[in-house]
Amino acid sequence: MSLPIKRLAYAALAGLLLFSATAKAGEDVWQSLKSQAFGDRAIAAEDGMVVLEIPGTAEDAALVPLTVRVPPAVRQSLKSLTIFIDKNPDPKVATLNFGPAAGTGGERSFSTRVRIDNFSYVRAVLETEDGTLHMASKFVAAAGGCGAMQAKDPDSETVDLGKMIVRTFPPALESSPIWSAQVMIKHPNSNGMQLDINTANFIPARYVRAMTVKRGGQLVFEMQSTFSLSTNPNFRFTFGRGADNSLDVAITDTDETRFTAQSEPSGS
Amino acid sequence: MIDRERRSALSRVVSRQDFLRAALALATSTLLRYVPAEAAESLEVSEVAPGLFVHQGRYEVQSPQNRGDMANASFVVGGDAVAVIDTLGSAVAGRELRSAVRAVTSKPIRYVINTHMHPDHVFGNTAFKNDNPTFVGHYKLARGLATRADRYLAINKQMLGDAAFEGIEVILPTLAVENSLTLDLGGRSLVLETQQTAHTDNDLTITDTATDTLFLGDLLFSVHVPTLDGSIRGWLALLDRLASKKTARVIPGHGPHAMELPEAIQPEQRYLAAIAGDVRRLIKEGKTLEDATKTAGFSERDAWKLFDHYHVRNVTAAFAELEWE
Repeated sequence: MSLPIKRLAYAALAGLLLFSATAKAGEDVWQSLKSQAFGDRAIAAEDGMVVLEIPGTAEDAALVPLTVRVPPAVRQSLKSLTIFIDKNPDPKVATLNFGPAAGTGGERSFSTRVRIDNFSYVRAVLETEDGTLHMASKFVAAAGGCGAMQAKDPDSETVDLGKMIVRTFPPALESSPIWSAQVMIKHPNSNGMQLDINTANFIPARYVRAMTVKRGGQLVFEMQSTFSLSTNPNFRFTFGRGADNSLDVAITDTDETRFTAQSEPSGS
Repeated sequence: MIDRERRSALSRVVSRQDFLRAALALATSTLLRYVPAEAAESLEVSEVAPGLFVHQGRYEVQSPQNRGDMANASFVVGGDAVAVIDTLGSAVAGRELRSAVRAVTSKPIRYVINTHMHPDHVFGNTAFKNDNPTFVGHYKLARGLATRADRYLAINKQMLGDAAFEGIEVILPTLAVENSLTLDLGGRSLVLETQQTAHTDNDLTITDTATDTLFLGDLLFSVHVPTLDGSIRGWLALLDRLASKKTARVIPGHGPHAMELPEAIQPEQRYLAAIAGDVRRLIKEGKTLEDATKTAGFSERDAWKLFDHYHVRNVTAAFAELEWE
């Protein structure tokens, strides 16, 4: 009788030690990431100013949908948003610096799809107009998103590289000052971790490193990004209503190739 | 001169046909089901047509218990030699498949054909290395498997456990098929054809002309939910073409030993069409990938085994493809 219980206790203890060790390792990574990105500035965790939506278990680690929301109760305009995946080879996924056309007066949001290389915390850090920092984080069980070749049909993807779609969506309530938009680009976003069988070399990294979104010449946001974005980067975001709600999007990749597109007529 | 050539060509055909008939007669006279002498080390196979044997894999994900025996694997015995079609998901399962071949024939294993790159169809290749066969696959198989090899090995080590993972190595095709290729087993030919991107970008089908049997690999799932790692549009288009095809039987990658067209493909067509229909509608409504993973295709949930394992991934892949239409 006592033996199994003893074993169980050991197992539980081992599990506990392992868990706390893992949790601690996670915290260590974040402590250094945090001081690199924000120095010793205070960050308010889970204070409701920013909400992160991401599945707790990713079905496809190469394509994990992620949404950051700023609830309507937050009235301030936004300065910046940074997304981290602690355990990725480059933990900083993207930083957005918002401009005057980012909008206020309703729920604001930003969605994209990411690769997750290892069980990891995913974090969204929001900087509001008053210079304060707010963080939402979630632990995600996913593995193998970076080393894996994401393109299911690499030949057809190569043919279409650079193809873009930009769409705008008016709000459900006409009185709302917040519109939403979608930007898609065909791009492998290669991270330099995929082997080319024909040359036995790694496929050189080539990924979207910057994107600028403008509404009628005014900045919605400019973004710096890394290869943690999935193949065929895909974004949904909100922007403030203007006289002309068409968007201009410019994307630059690490080969310094520039891709531009304008939104299709709204609702098309 | 010309006549003589024609005559000799004709006589060659005739003699091959005669030989084939003889071989078939011999094969049909044997037991329909082989229970090999060393049962513990040999897989159960069924002779679904003369000289054509199929092992049915379990409807499971890989585990220490099933040792990667979770896909169908087959072999065809010709006049001179044997071709193995898919090799299961581990060295140990591959060795048991090899024992099953040896329980039936001592002819050399000349070809090991992989229908596509997935581990449950290729990780047993290593068990046939000492036979020095030609490893045959779609010309895109090598690229697909090599770029995923590290991840496949890591995942399978974790899921199979050390014992069943032992000895697995990635063996790429030594003969790549572009368009089509005919292999001769001695009076019996296999016609290999590459397909457009569907289940994966490296699907290969094989026709055993002697018995009019079509090996579909994972282009055909039955009972086990289909898994999408290629193109949903390509797959649906291919199934449309298959629906009007006449063949004595088809062998699925996952499912019963043998099935008949067009009934065999109908549930899979229905499943993929349900996903494509739902996903297209959601995209049109401006819905997101997350929305789709919660609703699209769930009408099919009760119709398939392993639905919860693969369905959301299928919807994710379908959405990422169809949003570009």
